[in-house]
Amino acid sequence: MKLALAQIVPKLGDVEANVDAHLEVLEKARKEKTELVVFPELGLTGYTLKDLVEEVALDPASDPRLRRIVARTKGLSAVVGFVEESPAEQGLFYNAAAFIADGRILHIHRKVFLPTGGIFEEAKFFAQGRDFRSFRAPFGRVGLLVCRDFLQFGSSYVHHAAGAEMIICISAAPGRGVAGGDAFETARMWELMGEAVSYFSTAFVVYANRAGSEDGVMFAGGSFVFAPGGRLVARAASVEAEIVSCHIDLSAVRKARRAWLFKRDEKPEAVWRSLERIVRASED
Amino acid sequence: MPPKINAAFVEKVLVAFIRDEFGRCGCAKAVLGLSGGLDSAVSAALAVRALGPAHVLGLIMPYGQACPEDVRDAAAVARKLGLRTKTVDIAPQIDIYFAAHPTTSRVQRGNKMARERMSILYDHSAREGALVLGTSNKTELLIGYGTVYGDMACAINPVGDLYKTQMRELAARLGIPAAVRRKAPTAGLWPGQTDESEIGLPYEELDAILYNIVEGRKTRREVVEAGHAAAAVDRVLRMIRRSGFKRALPPIAKLSIRSVGHDFLYPYDRSK
Repeated sequence: MKLALAQIVPKLGDVEANVDAHLEVLEKARKEKTELVVFPELGLTGYTLKDLVEEVALDPASDPRLRRIVARTKGLSAVVGFVEESPAEQGLFYNAAAFIADGRILHIHRKVFLPTGGIFEEAKFFAQGRDFRSFRAPFGRVGLLVCRDFLQFGSSYVHHAAGAEMIICISAAPGRGVAGGDAFETARMWELMGEAVSYFSTAFVVYANRAGSEDGVMFAGGSFVFAPGGRLVARAASVEAEIVSCHIDLSAVRKARRAWLFKRDEKPEAVWRSLERIVRASED
Repeated sequence: MPPKINAAFVEKVLVAFIRDEFGRCGCAKAVLGLSGGLDSAVSAALAVRALGPAHVLGLIMPYGQACPEDVRDAAAVARKLGLRTKTVDIAPQIDIYFAAHPTTSRVQRGNKMARERMSILYDHSAREGALVLGTSNKTELLIGYGTVYGDMACAINPVGDLYKTQMRELAARLGIPAAVRRKAPTAGLWPGQTDESEIGLPYEELDAILYNIVEGRKTRREVVEAGHAAAAVDRVLRMIRRSGFKRALPPIAKLSIRSVGHDFLYPYDRSK
């Protein structure tokens, strides 16, 4: 299977321009017989939105701009980041990721962990997602995460317990720390998690970050794909925009699960009982 | 000490940052004040790499013949980088003002000169359709060693998150002439002034203390235990505290439901 990491530079607050940029990447991907294109977090809007959130929010069921993207996925899949406001929950804005395949939205994940503190202020402007739910994609079971979701390692565990063969994280991660090599020091944090999750969940981990800067914050790029067992398949440039394509062999999941029995020996009921006890105790 | 930076990576990031910011506002040109010192040389070198030498204008703004060696160094930096320069002597307008409003305070005179230069820079920003590039480094910003609405004023600042000691590393990478890199840093408020004598600490020690406080999030006691003199740490803490107003926009008295500066919140970098 051929997949592409679209490490683009979205225009802040300009949905039309970003839709056009997405369509262009999708069209090229279709010609190159790419089966999955992963765009970054809030790729349709830009990241540092603040009060622009309500101006760029869209209803995925009816918005004509998103329909143009959905229509462009005939024969392929795409993960797209946007601000969701649905008619059922007017005035609530979610930092969302849609998995779109063959002209249909198969799943929407609303970011659960909204970083708020230091340079981050997402919980000031977004409503919180409440669920991690994997779903059946054309090529296998997929779990979606948005940026910080991935760094709270319980999120990946939930997808693993549900049988995800691929965990896709879309991101707008800023770079911090310049005392290291040819990337921001924080890039290591994402790769470390990607490597570990792909190793112990015996699943593919696909991480699409963005490039460019907003309000003085530089996004770190460095998108990557890990195959089951912590094998790095592809990595995009640090800081700069780049579309990276790679081939992955989906049978690697089965092979890894035969070699390493982490999935077979998984005991979600034990984890669940323990978590229930911990949650109850914290409520007392 | 702050960690050694990967100067090549920092150069790449800052050049991309300048291109991004200028591209976003549809502006191809930069203007900045060239003092003959290291910080403005670094800022200019980054702008030249991002925009091309023909798109960077360096203004050399001496006060008469007060510091001829700085004018010489500024011209040397400009020659090395290949950027355009223009010299504006600020003595006439400064002298007229202080003839009418005399003062014996050299700090007051220095601040007035810094704001005069700012006003000339912004006038050239309009004349040239250029953005004013900042040159204040992290050390200065943290201790407030700059003139508010003077040399601190700019449209974007590529070097404000680099300590002075890190600026020296980047300057070496960017090929800034050794004479400029090695001379004693000065705010240039009056002839013979040097930063280190006025601040009372060498930059190496000042940066080490700041790094412990800012990135290290250490308490006063922990910084002293790390080997710094208590008096020096107290001095730095006091300078940070007293200069907070220089690092924030002025407070606006909130009256309404939604107010500028409080909860009318939009990004600086919205696409036009």
